[in-house]
Amino acid sequence: MSTIAPEAVAGGRTRLAGLLVVPATLFVALMLIGPLAILFRYSLNKFVPGQFMVDALVIENYIKFFTDGYYLNVLIRTVRVSVICTLACLVMGFPLAYVLARTQSRFKNLLVIAVVLPLFVGNAVRAAGWMTAFGSRGALNASLMGLGLIDQPLEIMYTENAVLIGIIAVNLPFMVLTLQSVIEGIPRNVEEAAFSLGANPPVMFRRVLWPLALPGILAGTILTFILAMNAYATPVLLGGPKFQTMGPLVYGQFAQQNNWPFGAAISFILMTATIVLTMTANFIVRRRSR
Amino acid sequence: MSAIRLRAARFALNAAAAFSLGFILLPLFFVTWLAFFRQEIPSFPPEGYSLQWFAAAAANKSFVDGFILSLQVGIAATLIGLLLGVPASLALVRHRIPLGPGVNTFLLLPLVMPGIVLGTATYVFQIEVEITTSVPVMGSLVGLIAAHTLVVIPWVVRLVTASLAGFDRSIEEAAQNLGAGPVTTFWRVTLPSIRPGIVAAALFGFVTSFGNLEMSLFLVGPGRTTLPIAILQYLEWKIDPTVAAASLIQIVLIGVSMIVTDRYVKLSRVV
Repeated sequence: MSTIAPEAVAGGRTRLAGLLVVPATLFVALMLIGPLAILFRYSLNKFVPGQFMVDALVIENYIKFFTDGYYLNVLIRTVRVSVICTLACLVMGFPLAYVLARTQSRFKNLLVIAVVLPLFVGNAVRAAGWMTAFGSRGALNASLMGLGLIDQPLEIMYTENAVLIGIIAVNLPFMVLTLQSVIEGIPRNVEEAAFSLGANPPVMFRRVLWPLALPGILAGTILTFILAMNAYATPVLLGGPKFQTMGPLVYGQFAQQNNWPFGAAISFILMTATIVLTMTANFIVRRRSR
Repeated sequence: MSAIRLRAARFALNAAAAFSLGFILLPLFFVTWLAFFRQEIPSFPPEGYSLQWFAAAAANKSFVDGFILSLQVGIAATLIGLLLGVPASLALVRHRIPLGPGVNTFLLLPLVMPGIVLGTATYVFQIEVEITTSVPVMGSLVGLIAAHTLVVIPWVVRLVTASLAGFDRSIEEAAQNLGAGPVTTFWRVTLPSIRPGIVAAALFGFVTSFGNLEMSLFLVGPGRTTLPIAILQYLEWKIDPTVAAASLIQIVLIGVSMIVTDRYVKLSRVV
């Protein structure tokens, strides 16, 4: 009996301590799963102009999205912008992440803060910076015209290029931080081993660094892709009202058109794309690392 | 020759890294510059410099109210997020709970959800709650704080579980051998040693909440906007040094709080 009693006490305490996870789990379940379920239910309702939302169980909102060229174009444009931005972030982010991961500089913390700070400043503020630079009398046009390189100001604001530049700058820190943490986990001596076996830097990168950093590359790519698909402030401020992407489209359906069922359906299409991509990438990484 | 090539590669690498860092910081540089312009129109080169726009930003009611609201929501959501997230992290790392890894992933889920989707879902949820219970949650402070807590929890769980994973449990056993009870052990031994993780979680949770735009867009009521939304709405109308000055104040506040936090917890370790 004396051998059983202490174990029971310990087991009881462990079970009790395990319950500490319950409040947070319930909170997320209530505030995330509950709302998503209602949103999905809304997306099956009907929208009747004048009558607002009518209870129904139809998939016409989804059919409307995938059969109307306008909405499909918005989706395609959003995916195109997201893919370009993600690739640009990967190409631009890798060198910076590598330098941050390997630097011995005593200013390393300041460099990391310089990467993290813009992340916390908000997308609207950063878009304001680009608006200052890209306007017809902005910094870029003023300097190009001052140098005599162009006669007419370049039209950059309210173009896809402005949106691309804006989103790349917004998402680059996420890519850099994800890659940096993975590269820091790769021992430096595997790189030195490659060099001492005669590999030049490009070969070392392709044969050693890239494969070892692959999980981080995928994680960073997924994260920046999700963020680009989901961008709101940047396309609104730098793309203008004519440059529609999925984020502003969803907001417009809720706030301006009052078409909640259709807005809910577009939200779900956006989220499904996100989940499918995340799971696919996760699956690929797990199979590769096995 | 190989040494020269290696040096050339190193130079190219540093140049590419500097370019990317410059690209990240460039918009902040332009906002900072614009905040000091003398003229109202953002045309280059500036006609002169002035500090008048900081007074204009401080006198702008929507910026000031937005700042106060964002601060309130950020602090409340961070505290509730810590209260829910730290115990959950302890349970996840220390105890074999059924479906542990699944629960962990579940708690991180709000972080990978598109903000727009979180916003629409929370919006319709609050509508349904209001219809069912006739409690006015739509556009209320409580509704906003609850939604922000949802995006704070993943940061807390992620950073606190990471700092608990490297924690040596024999220190706790030593404390208990010396007669400390579970509560004393937690307050005097466990909590101090995971403090860096908690501080980082508080910082990241707070700034995530403070800067949140996509989700809050759906949840703010009339006359109640957060600072990022006030800035967005102003920019949709026009860009001038007043909004730049308001942004610069925000940049400086966040920058200072990060450098101060960095003195206690090395940010390069936790990010």
